[in-house]
Amino acid sequence: MAATAGKKVFEVFVSKVPWTVATREIREYFGQFGQVKRCLLPFDKETGFHRGFCWIGFHTEEGLQNVLQKDPHIIEGAKLQVQKNRKPFSERKPNKETEDI
Amino acid sequence: MAALLRSARLLKCSPTSLLQVIGNSKHAPAAGRLYSGAVGTTRAGLCVRQTVPGRLNTNSLSSYRSALPCLSCRQYGVVPEQRHLVKDEPSVAVRSKQTQQFDWALAKLDSSVRRTGRVTKTLLLRIFHDICRTGYPSGNQALLLLRSCGSLLPEVPLTERIELSQRIWDKLQELGATYDVSHYNALLKTYLQNEFRFSPTDFLAKMEAANVQPNRVTYQRLIAAYCQVGDIEGASTVLGFMKSKDLPITEAVFNSLVTGHARAGDMDSAENILSVMKSAGVEPGPDTYLSLLNVYAEKGDIAKIKQTLETVENADICLMDRDLMQVVFSLTKAGHQQYVTEIVECMRHERGYVPDAMNLCLSLITHGHEKTAFSMLKSYTGLLGDSQTSDSPDLGNFFLRHCVNMDKSVENIVGFCRDLKDSGLHSSPLEFTLYCALDGNKTGMAVDLMRSMKEAGLPIRPHYFWPLFIHYQKEKNIPGTLQTLKAMQELGVGSDSETFTVYIVPSFPSVDSTRTSLKEAGIDVDPNVLIATELRTEASRGNLAGLFSLMSSPELSRVDLSVFRASLITGFKEFQNVELMAKITELLYKDPRFNNADPETSENVAYFLYNLIDSMNKTAVHSKEEQLREYFGLLKNMNIRISLNIFRGIRNILESYQAPELVKDLLALVENKEGLESDVTLSKGLEEKLDFLEKTLAELKAEGKPVSSILKKVISVLCAEEKLERALELKTQYESDMTPATYAMLISLCCRHDNAEEALKLKIELARKDSEVVLDAQKYVALVRVLSKHGKLEEAVDMLKEMKEKDVQLRDNVIGLLNLTMNTAAMKGDANTIRRLQETVFTLGLAKPSSSLCSPLITCYLESGDYAGAFDASVEVHKKYNQMPKTHELICGLVKKGDAELLQKVMEYLSRVRGEMMMLYELYFAFLQTGRYKEARKIIETPGLRARPTRLQWFAEKCIAAQQMETLENMVDMTVKLFECDRDDMYHYLLRLCKETNDWRKAEATWMKMQEENLAPRERTLRLLADILKNNDKEVPFEVPEVWFEEGKGQPEMFLEQEVKSNPVFRPRKGVAASPSNEATVDDYKRKVLSLCKKGKTQEAYDILKEADSRNVVLGPAQFDIVIKALLAQGNIEDAMSVKNIATNRVPEFGLSDNANNLLIISQVKKCQMKDAVDTLKGMLKADQVPSRLALTRLVQSLASEGNTQGIQDVEAMVKTLGSIDISSMLFVNNTALSHIKNEELDSAVELLESFYLQNTENQKSSISFVFRKVLEANNDAVLDKLSAMAERLCNHFASYRAATDLFLTYLDTGRTEEARFLLQRCAAVSEQKDAMFIYMLRAAQQPGQAAKIKALSELIPDFTEKENIYLHLVKSYGIDKDFGSAKALYERMQAEGVKADELTLKRLAQLYKEAGETVPFDEPPESFRFYADKLKNRRKSMELADN
Repeated sequence: MAATAGKKVFEVFVSKVPWTVATREIREYFGQFGQVKRCLLPFDKETGFHRGFCWIGFHTEEGLQNVLQKDPHIIEGAKLQVQKNRKPFSERKPNKETEDI
Repeated sequence: MAALLRSARLLKCSPTSLLQVIGNSKHAPAAGRLYSGAVGTTRAGLCVRQTVPGRLNTNSLSSYRSALPCLSCRQYGVVPEQRHLVKDEPSVAVRSKQTQQFDWALAKLDSSVRRTGRVTKTLLLRIFHDICRTGYPSGNQALLLLRSCGSLLPEVPLTERIELSQRIWDKLQELGATYDVSHYNALLKTYLQNEFRFSPTDFLAKMEAANVQPNRVTYQRLIAAYCQVGDIEGASTVLGFMKSKDLPITEAVFNSLVTGHARAGDMDSAENILSVMKSAGVEPGPDTYLSLLNVYAEKGDIAKIKQTLETVENADICLMDRDLMQVVFSLTKAGHQQYVTEIVECMRHERGYVPDAMNLCLSLITHGHEKTAFSMLKSYTGLLGDSQTSDSPDLGNFFLRHCVNMDKSVENIVGFCRDLKDSGLHSSPLEFTLYCALDGNKTGMAVDLMRSMKEAGLPIRPHYFWPLFIHYQKEKNIPGTLQTLKAMQELGVGSDSETFTVYIVPSFPSVDSTRTSLKEAGIDVDPNVLIATELRTEASRGNLAGLFSLMSSPELSRVDLSVFRASLITGFKEFQNVELMAKITELLYKDPRFNNADPETSENVAYFLYNLIDSMNKTAVHSKEEQLREYFGLLKNMNIRISLNIFRGIRNILESYQAPELVKDLLALVENKEGLESDVTLSKGLEEKLDFLEKTLAELKAEGKPVSSILKKVISVLCAEEKLERALELKTQYESDMTPATYAMLISLCCRHDNAEEALKLKIELARKDSEVVLDAQKYVALVRVLSKHGKLEEAVDMLKEMKEKDVQLRDNVIGLLNLTMNTAAMKGDANTIRRLQETVFTLGLAKPSSSLCSPLITCYLESGDYAGAFDASVEVHKKYNQMPKTHELICGLVKKGDAELLQKVMEYLSRVRGEMMMLYELYFAFLQTGRYKEARKIIETPGLRARPTRLQWFAEKCIAAQQMETLENMVDMTVKLFECDRDDMYHYLLRLCKETNDWRKAEATWMKMQEENLAPRERTLRLLADILKNNDKEVPFEVPEVWFEEGKGQPEMFLEQEVKSNPVFRPRKGVAASPSNEATVDDYKRKVLSLCKKGKTQEAYDILKEADSRNVVLGPAQFDIVIKALLAQGNIEDAMSVKNIATNRVPEFGLSDNANNLLIISQVKKCQMKDAVDTLKGMLKADQVPSRLALTRLVQSLASEGNTQGIQDVEAMVKTLGSIDISSMLFVNNTALSHIKNEELDSAVELLESFYLQNTENQKSSISFVFRKVLEANNDAVLDKLSAMAERLCNHFASYRAATDLFLTYLDTGRTEEARFLLQRCAAVSEQKDAMFIYMLRAAQQPGQAAKIKALSELIPDFTEKENIYLHLVKSYGIDKDFGSAKALYERMQAEGVKADELTLKRLAQLYKEAGETVPFDEPPESFRFYADKLKNRRKSMELADN
């Protein structure tokens, strides 16, 4: 049904990203744990600020594990909240039931 | 909520509580002395003023933490105008909706006031806007808004506040809100709080013109207004007038006079007021002294201030910090800042200090004293130290934000930032300030701030400028954009292509014109950046030729694909030129500028292809199939390769789109195809599956092939079937093929079967095989449980240690299991095990010590009757873990036993660690619980004791759950005089228990008691009462929602007298019978009409309206609308329309409101006037009104039942023009299908539904259950066959499972279990639709009588969710059905299976046991249902958050 982009996606979901850092800084920071395959930090087209959360995909499981083992993650003095991404963002298709008439 | 309830829902406020207030406020100091003498506690409890539930004096909106910049605004009187406030609420039909909206606004404001002591302008405006939009605002909505326009807005300058209140006043009046004296008084209050100069005489004239009679409060406030400007003469005139009317002169008046004399320059007279007061028998109160302090502050007379403070202290009067803050404000405003520190030193930092101080800071900033505000801020930041232990403190955010909003000088702000940073209060103040400036689009300030940041060595990044650019982009403001770019350049920030593409270029007509403009403006840009921008722009426009030439141009330097991937996909999706697409792809693959990795291993292009396909929907893929094949072919010829992994991903998408041909073409791009064949999926019935798996397992093993994955499958099935022995056999047989996951499943199974030996053996084996393996928390704790239960304590502790080593997190549900483990030990009296487990868990930090985790130890001693041991354990647990569980049980035990000595010890300990107040409550509850009411009464009447709503609620809930009527009744009786006790809450508890026990006699007696107490209950209480009576076929002695109209009867004499005295205008109303008298005014008619509508006497209201019309009395639009709605609510369209005609004659612009139109549609539908109904809808849309969901649903359903397909389509088309509206698209699909069916156009129906699911995979989430249900209800077999065939076809041929799932669930829901089973056999995939099943169960468990359905579902598809989940919902269902037998059987089964139950479920079970009169076989979770439900909800929320 839903597309599974090769089952091996090693992603974390990061929240509480301070507004001062953007994709470049995030990539740089997470690069220390392993090669970053992708980094999605959505910006709000209405305000010009990002929304405070992002997804980081690593090339290898090792990168993912490295990240998860470290705590706390601090970037420019702010503590990030990092958790394993339960639904890979490449798969994020609407799958929710809604009540219908 | 209570804070505002007291103020805004005036009529629900009890007169007794008001009377009580007077008593209390007079006696408060005395009570305070007694209290401090008796139990020697702090003074916090004594400052009665702050929370007295009066109306004008202490509701949250007017003085709760209020009033920094306001003087003389605390009044003490009881105000008599309460009854006339709610009089213009609309009719019965929409009443509940409006109540809801009101509640919503109220809750919003209330929570804001509670949390922060202020309201933001944005919030206020939003609520204002909402209230306006929904039509005719009610009187209390108006009041609510007006009250929020004063000192609750410290961030808004005074003039702006005045404008705001004026705007609200005018707008709401225009919309038909009727104002009474309370509104005028509220307006006066905002004038006072906002220091607005106005003419009191004009104000009175205005009231007179509106035919509103001023009352005592009005006069008091007018006096205050005169005094505010030092006009003693004016004040005296009003005072004389009050005297002549025999109105009491209260403390508030004297307080105003203090201010008045001082402002007139006559300090002697001001001081003299105090003795005048005393001689008049009015004792100067805290507010009097505060007035005095404020006038000294205005004069800067610090000596006098100090002297007064001393007097206050000696008089045993308590001034709160909030009062002193007013003094600080007065000092600062008058330019005597130098004394501020001395006042600040006097503050005691009592509770609520911080929000008050924040509001003071905000007010000071608003008034231009930011430096004083900053010193204030610094004076209390130390208080926050404890709560601010994080690594990145951010104190003072509110301060910085407000400075930005008020456009303070950057120099000052930067100074504050430096100070905050240097003193370690804020980790990044400049960044935060910049954020605020950007957020507020303050370009100049933002750039200046960035300059300072740069000087401070902080990085400046391109995206800092994006909010500014976005703003200019919206306005297409090129000069602004250029200016910002210049600033960027000046600050040395290079702009990247992202900045250009998204934020800059769109402001210009083209990339070229951007380039030119930049050049003209003298802005240098990295050419690469512009090229990247161009790439993106060209790509997203689909100009592939231009893109290709750009990309292949040798001038281009390295560009990462990610820079323009999204744009490229947009450009590619059109498939205009496949050849160019392939060429571009080739560049991406081979050109090192786009792909610096080795093309063989790089997944650059592969991912790109994945993204491309993923961005296309099914229709797009099918319509572009040819182009895609051509494209893939070209790629193959170019030797472009993709990896197997990514191929799988793309294949899955394509397969779900039913495009197998494309998969083949794509496969040609895969180089290494190994491992593809293993991708075969199994989907068979369970037994069948097991047989098949075991056979395959044996075969594979015989062939010497790897079998671990299939072994795992077999064992997982065996585990699900609870076949432990067979699973263990298999394990022995295939020991070498066991994987950790398989072990984990087996261990869990052993634990469920309470087999400690085997579980431990497996665990050891597993560790031997692979010491790194980590089990999940649930399994570890299951091990701990089973091991400790069987005396293997050390092994259990080892498990906990291993959890720590392997960093296994304990979630709430697992902690519950841990708790259960310890409770089992407690029942056995095994304190040793509990201690050991607690110690291990807490010292390892696996879980934080909580009340529930600590309680088993106490329970253990209590169970064996060892109270001394229990007390020692309590002390031990408190010392070690700072928890005090089971205190209530302990004290009850002691009281019962009569062990005074130990009881004394316990009390001493409690009062030391939890405070006197809590100790007293504990004792009180213990006496109540054990039936020692006399003692209980003594405790609760301890002077100075005040209501602790949460404690009272805790006990009440306990009584309700245990159905202890006598105990609860006694509590309610004893708390009559308890200070601040919410009486309505108390009676509500009592009635809830009556409802549980269905005891209407008791309920009726409660009703009488409430009258005796002169309590005006809230609506919910009355509704509950009415419910109980109705359920027992008793007459309800009041009209349910309208009761408050009868209230006059139940009110005390004094109240009525005052009312008549101060409101002569209302006197004639008393005599009014059926129609207003001859000289009745417009207002009388209006009032009468409204009141009749509210009482449900619609016909009479209609008659009055006609009578008014015949007398040429013109009512307002609000009245017309209400009568129309009331008539429509009764389905009386004709009369409603004649009212509309009258209205249009009188008020030409009159139109029906949204709600009236919605009702009209519903009435018309009911009468089958479908054409009219559609016309009404048309009219609504034309008038820009929004039809309600209900009206639309009724309309469309009726059209369907008439077979009017065209009609449905018309409605759909109309509704679409509305844009997003809260209505399901399925309404139209389902009803169109039904309409076809009605017309016997079966094929059309099938075609419609089939294509609905096939066209768009998104539609899988939409349900057609409604259609199935209707067809089943109609017993229409022919149709059912066709639809069922369609569902199967969709399922088996098109992998679209929704329809079959819906049919399955509809069968199940209508009790057709056999049909459901057959369907499942035909469509096996339905059993995989676990989400749908789960949701079905969730919904079913919310209604009575559904347990059998859940059970049937779980029997048909046992694995649709975890067993735990099914059981939890079954328990819920049994709970609703009060089916104790089934619940008990289930609980025993859960026990046997080792399935854990969460606290909420245990709570439910416990209640069922108790209702059945059986002892609860486990420890009932101590908190309320609400508590555990919220806990679960929060947990789910946090999990969802992780999902998103």
